[in-house]
Amino acid sequence: MKLLLGLLFPTEGEITILGKPASDVSKNEWIGYLPEESYLYRFLNAEETLDFYGRLFDMSPQQRKERSNQLIELVGLQNARKRQLKEYSKGMTRRIGLAQALINNPDLILLDEPTSGLDPLGSRDMKDLIVKLKNEGKTVVMCSHLLADVQDVCDRIAILYAGELKELGRVEDLLKEQNETELLTSKLSPAAVADVEAALAKHNAKLIRHGHPTNSLEDLFLKTVQKSQERPGQRYVPTASEKS
Amino acid sequence: MTFDRDPFALLTGLRDWLLVFGGFVGIIFSATILVALGIYGTSGPVAVMSRVWQGLHDFTHLSPKRIWAISRLTILEAWRRKALWVFAVFAFLMMFAGWFLDSELRVDMQVKNAVSFALTTVLWLTIPVLLLLSCWGIPEDIRVRSLHTVVTKPVRRNEIVMGRILGFSAVSATIVAIMGVVGYVWVLRQVPEDHQPRLSGWNRLCLAVGLLPNISIEADPKNDLPAIDVSAKKFCRMPVYGTLEFVDREGAIATKGINTGDIWEFRSYIEGGTKASARYKFAVNDPVDQLKLESRFEAFRTHKGRIGQSLLVRYVLVNPTKSLRVPLPSFEIKEFSLNEQFINREVSYYDEDLKDTRTVDLFKDLVYFDEDEKLKRNVLQIEVQCLDSGQYLGMARTDFFIRLPDRSFLMGYFKAVFGIWLLTVFIVSIGVTASTFVKGPVATMLTFSVLIVGQGFRDFMIKLVTGEQKGGGPIESWYRLVTHMNDTLALPDTVGVQIMQGIDKVLLSGLWLTQHLIPDLSSFVMSPYVANGFDVPWGMAMFRSLAMTIGYLIPCVLIGYYSLTLRELEAK
Repeated sequence: MKLLLGLLFPTEGEITILGKPASDVSKNEWIGYLPEESYLYRFLNAEETLDFYGRLFDMSPQQRKERSNQLIELVGLQNARKRQLKEYSKGMTRRIGLAQALINNPDLILLDEPTSGLDPLGSRDMKDLIVKLKNEGKTVVMCSHLLADVQDVCDRIAILYAGELKELGRVEDLLKEQNETELLTSKLSPAAVADVEAALAKHNAKLIRHGHPTNSLEDLFLKTVQKSQERPGQRYVPTASEKS
Repeated sequence: MTFDRDPFALLTGLRDWLLVFGGFVGIIFSATILVALGIYGTSGPVAVMSRVWQGLHDFTHLSPKRIWAISRLTILEAWRRKALWVFAVFAFLMMFAGWFLDSELRVDMQVKNAVSFALTTVLWLTIPVLLLLSCWGIPEDIRVRSLHTVVTKPVRRNEIVMGRILGFSAVSATIVAIMGVVGYVWVLRQVPEDHQPRLSGWNRLCLAVGLLPNISIEADPKNDLPAIDVSAKKFCRMPVYGTLEFVDREGAIATKGINTGDIWEFRSYIEGGTKASARYKFAVNDPVDQLKLESRFEAFRTHKGRIGQSLLVRYVLVNPTKSLRVPLPSFEIKEFSLNEQFINREVSYYDEDLKDTRTVDLFKDLVYFDEDEKLKRNVLQIEVQCLDSGQYLGMARTDFFIRLPDRSFLMGYFKAVFGIWLLTVFIVSIGVTASTFVKGPVATMLTFSVLIVGQGFRDFMIKLVTGEQKGGGPIESWYRLVTHMNDTLALPDTVGVQIMQGIDKVLLSGLWLTQHLIPDLSSFVMSPYVANGFDVPWGMAMFRSLAMTIGYLIPCVLIGYYSLTLRELEAK
């Protein structure tokens, strides 16, 4: 990603992005970049940050104001728009970082570890934003070592290892296990399970595993938080057996 | 330091700058092409040319809005990082400085000290702040990677360098302007109370800002208050210096007068009551109704002379082309003080040959075209004679001058303040450029070295390079130190000494180059003009400093641009 942006130079070969060499700054007109750590100017507040980056795109004062308001609302920082970034939490910093990357309404968005270091709620928000951007027709390229997040939001993935491209394709195609079939049914009785096994045996197949599907820990956490927001004050109450 | 008002030779300066700048660019370009050809073959020079082309493209597609955005960010950064706390230090110094300035001195000396102190304080408080800000800005941005979010926008690297320089220059302008105003008011307040004008309201305000140039206040015997001549304190004189040659007691021309035993050879002396005289030639342009002459001569007595009287001096106006000599009335000089004399357009004198009084026109009859190679223009020649036998009158070229109509002190003071700002812009340019290729501490050391060498060690460097400084180069000096050998002793003619001196020659060549690269920064410091009661001339001081700043700013931006373009910002 840093090679694409001209922050590192290739030792050999050429890089073009949107048809232009990586060293050509004019390509940046259509690119938005969120660096790994949101390296922003910590003495600026959210409004000033977006205004500054808007100026770098030669935007008019009116455009900058409108775009800043839109983005601050989009990333949910309305209540912190006047606070200097040095007072922001990690999640807030990532959100304002994403907002600056979108200031020019880019066609191509490059995100470097967008969910790194975020709590589950922040991570969910970021992923929702990425999906929203995708739905708006933007091309989002992200790199991450949090593979669950990649699986959640990406349509296509590439796997780089030791400086070489090892895999490239659509997520569902790459993850699909061609030799197995998965059925998801409503709850079955033991007798029904036995019938299914018998039916499978007729077709020379066997039931490898059955049981109740489990949610991911992230889903459980988000559901719990959602419930808590709907019914504030509700707490976990131990059962009688747990008490004993 | 002299206070000449010679015009600045812009075209000559521009030609020299183009030669040096073009020469350096040509050498660096040729060397880069050759190195690239050697390492990468034919693709090397192509890559170099593409970088040059990209540079031309980037410099012709600058965006003032983006430059201003980065400048604005720089200003905000300085403000939020509390760089302007320097005002608190300044205010503290100004509050108590008056306690330590000698109030027993003559008024003009007190004003001189006050002006020097105020302007020196502004200079040396502003420089460290700007030095640190400019040298640490870009390296810190690279370290915390905030520059990554800027260079990944459509921002050219030259816009970053220019934006930073502009921003820091704006910060320094604010600091220098505010300190300058406070310093000005402080200087006015430092004038002794009995010399402060007893004015009120609008007049006091006008006087304070130098809008009342010729005001004087009569004595107030009722309240026992003395008369005040404000002009002695708050004016910037405009001198027109001339050339000086001496005529000895026999009437022969000499470049120097008599040395009366003073080690300091600044002044030469003429013997009184003889044919000895000092011959000044002043370039004169437009005729005026009256010429004002100002002098500060020194007396050297071989006997007590007339008790209670000073030396008698006479000016003689001479036009050698018409063999015309017009003696003016003699006068007693005021030692350690200024002597002011006026010459009217029409000068009457007693002609010894005609035995009659004759009247001549100062400009028609006495001003003539001097054929001397150094002058080649209309001049007024004035001979200074000492009339007391056995006494000596000492003078230097700058001791006697035609005083043009005075300029406002306010204007002169703020020209000096502007000079300080130009120096800070120079420092910012060097600091920002250095910070594009080295880290903050190294950039600070580099810029500080340029500042120190340019301010005080340039003359020493020139002496070393030209061989005027005894003791040889660095190796020879070291050898002499270790062997306790006096620098006047000749070294033995051995192979070792020849090798040593050969190495010294190479090292001194490097010093020669450095000496040509580092400018004479003392010309930015214009406080001596104002402190000594002279106007800061536009040509010799202002335009020269401005041209020097721009002359360094352009290559600085170019170097900074290529440094940022050719370095990998992400590289650790």
